[in-house]
Amino acid sequence: MEIKKVDEGKFVVPIGPQHPALKEPGHFEFTVDGEIVMDAKVRLGFVHRGIEKMAEQRTYTRDLYLMERVCGICSHVHGTAFTLGVEKLAGVTAPPRAQAIRVIIAELERIHSHLLWLGVAAHEGGFDTLFMYSWRDRETVMDLLELLSGNRVHYSANVLGGVKFDINPVQTDQIRRGVDYLEERTQFYQKVVTTDNTFLGRTRGVGYMSREQAELQGAVGPTARASGVTRDVRVDAPYSFYPQTPVQIVLDDGGDLTARFIVRIKELFEAYRLVRLLLDNLPEGELATRMPRRIPAGEVISRVEAPRGELMYFIRSNGTDMPERVKIRTPSLCNWGTITSTAVGLKLADMPMLLAGIDPCFSCNDRMIRVRRAGEPGVMTWDQIKAGKGGWSV
Amino acid sequence: MSAAQAWLTLLVFPGGFFLLATGLLYEFIDRKLVARYQNRVGPRWFQPLADVVKLLAKEEIIPTGVEKTLFIGLPIVGLAGALTAALYVPIAGLPPAFSFRGDLIVTLYLLSLMTLCLGLSGANTVNRFSIIGATRTLTQLFSYEAPFLLALLGPALSADSWQIGQINDYAINNLWMIVTQPIGFLVALVGLMGKLELPPFDAPEAETEIVSGALTEYSGRGLALFRLGKDVELVIGLTLISALYLGGLANPLEFLLKTLCVLLVMAGLQSLFARLRIDQTVGLWWRIGALLALLQLLAITIGKVLL
Repeated sequence: MEIKKVDEGKFVVPIGPQHPALKEPGHFEFTVDGEIVMDAKVRLGFVHRGIEKMAEQRTYTRDLYLMERVCGICSHVHGTAFTLGVEKLAGVTAPPRAQAIRVIIAELERIHSHLLWLGVAAHEGGFDTLFMYSWRDRETVMDLLELLSGNRVHYSANVLGGVKFDINPVQTDQIRRGVDYLEERTQFYQKVVTTDNTFLGRTRGVGYMSREQAELQGAVGPTARASGVTRDVRVDAPYSFYPQTPVQIVLDDGGDLTARFIVRIKELFEAYRLVRLLLDNLPEGELATRMPRRIPAGEVISRVEAPRGELMYFIRSNGTDMPERVKIRTPSLCNWGTITSTAVGLKLADMPMLLAGIDPCFSCNDRMIRVRRAGEPGVMTWDQIKAGKGGWSV
Repeated sequence: MSAAQAWLTLLVFPGGFFLLATGLLYEFIDRKLVARYQNRVGPRWFQPLADVVKLLAKEEIIPTGVEKTLFIGLPIVGLAGALTAALYVPIAGLPPAFSFRGDLIVTLYLLSLMTLCLGLSGANTVNRFSIIGATRTLTQLFSYEAPFLLALLGPALSADSWQIGQINDYAINNLWMIVTQPIGFLVALVGLMGKLELPPFDAPEAETEIVSGALTEYSGRGLALFRLGKDVELVIGLTLISALYLGGLANPLEFLLKTLCVLLVMAGLQSLFARLRIDQTVGLWWRIGALLALLQLLAITIGKVLL
């Protein structure tokens, strides 16, 4: 085998698709001069699964389970976004108790997602002790979700028109105890990430993004809020039970990695408060209403706040029991631009933490783009996709 | 020393077999302690040995673009350097097998040989992770080496000898030097961690950035030898620090207790901090480490003149 001579003077460090820093496949090319990053490129699409196309060939009920599998970490919020959209199309509103349970699960999921992120980000920075500690405590919230739904990961709380399970007083007590414990632990983590000198050495001033930049790049979620952008769907356009339990938006003006840590940790406290508030004011009533099998024709956009930021669903119905089109835009996709613009000038050692800083979720943002040439048909069948034909690229 | 005795010294004790076994045992203790500090279960006692056996049984892949002789030879030279260094230190609390004036410097040189081999082996391949790892390994070598040497010279100056055996005797008969030279002890301890590329000084092999650093292309035998070399270095480093700073090593029991105490502290330090970037490591050593070690030397010199 001949070794190909690469462009002299350019030293490109490839990270991925297989790399110990990545838990999911993605590809990054960092051009470095010594340790300084001169250029960054992102290439995605390794885990495209054709979910949107799949959705067109299944009924709404089956689609709900499919949407929960877009992301393994925030499965509930995907289900919620889809359910809310379909309910809006059908002109059905879920009962208040169902709405409240949806929000409780959503906030528990946010807690689990943020604790998971804290561990991953610490691991990328070589702080494995914090990684192990935060993942140990994350077990508490996983157990609570299992207690409610029977599952640790895909809780599958939603059905079209309501929720599947109730929360009884015994479970309420257990959730309260779990949340109390987690709040105490989170206070400790807040102290660690804001006072530990070696940790601050790796995060303070790293990956700074101004408010203007964040708005220009279209950043969403905690990444945007850490740059002082007031963007939170739960506040801007409250859905489900959020109008009755207003969320206090968590902002930080730091714009660097430290700010992203602080924002996520403060959001944990906000989530604890919301869970307690909802448990205290859980409305009585039914868990689900009747839902028509065929959904009236129409189009809807459903927006929710996933742990990583704004999640958008576009659903078009043609009056049958299967959607004509489902388009998903996940928050990770919106935040990639911030990586390539902030990476330049940083050290190579900062890259894993910078990547982790936006809490990327690869498999949920991989979508297919098809470049149509003149005269080609615009519609692909599911069989064509499965066969890998049709000149498409991901 | 008869031929049979010499062979015994080289192959069984303190060189060779004994050292490798102790190295694996200490690696296990280190991994277990760090795991317990991090609230994990940690490995079973034979895990390091199992790792080595497994690696030795695996195919060794020699990648394209490397100088073959160097690729095979460097792990052997590195391990040999570490094993040779053991002959001059009071392993297991017994007097060193060989001794001459100035063997402290030779020991330190032999220990650095290992790091040098590591750096060269990374630079030998065309893998980009290896090359960055090699650069970082050598950068780190240049940053911790001087303060580490200065920190070990403190006890040598006090004992008026550069012979490890004699410093050990002096340490046994006098007040522990951790009390008289606390700064030197700290610099030596942290220096050893830098030498062994333990967290937080593991930038040269930061897995989330550069996979496995200089050793990325190594598999099978070469990797096993480098890992054994590091284990041996750990034992020698612990022995040196205990002999010089913790009142010397008079018998095997003292050796065990004192080295394990140092290991306990080292494991704690490993789990306390986030990884330092290579520029932070260099900054720490030259701005703080070297300065502190020099201050310590100055204090010793003034003390000697006055008393």
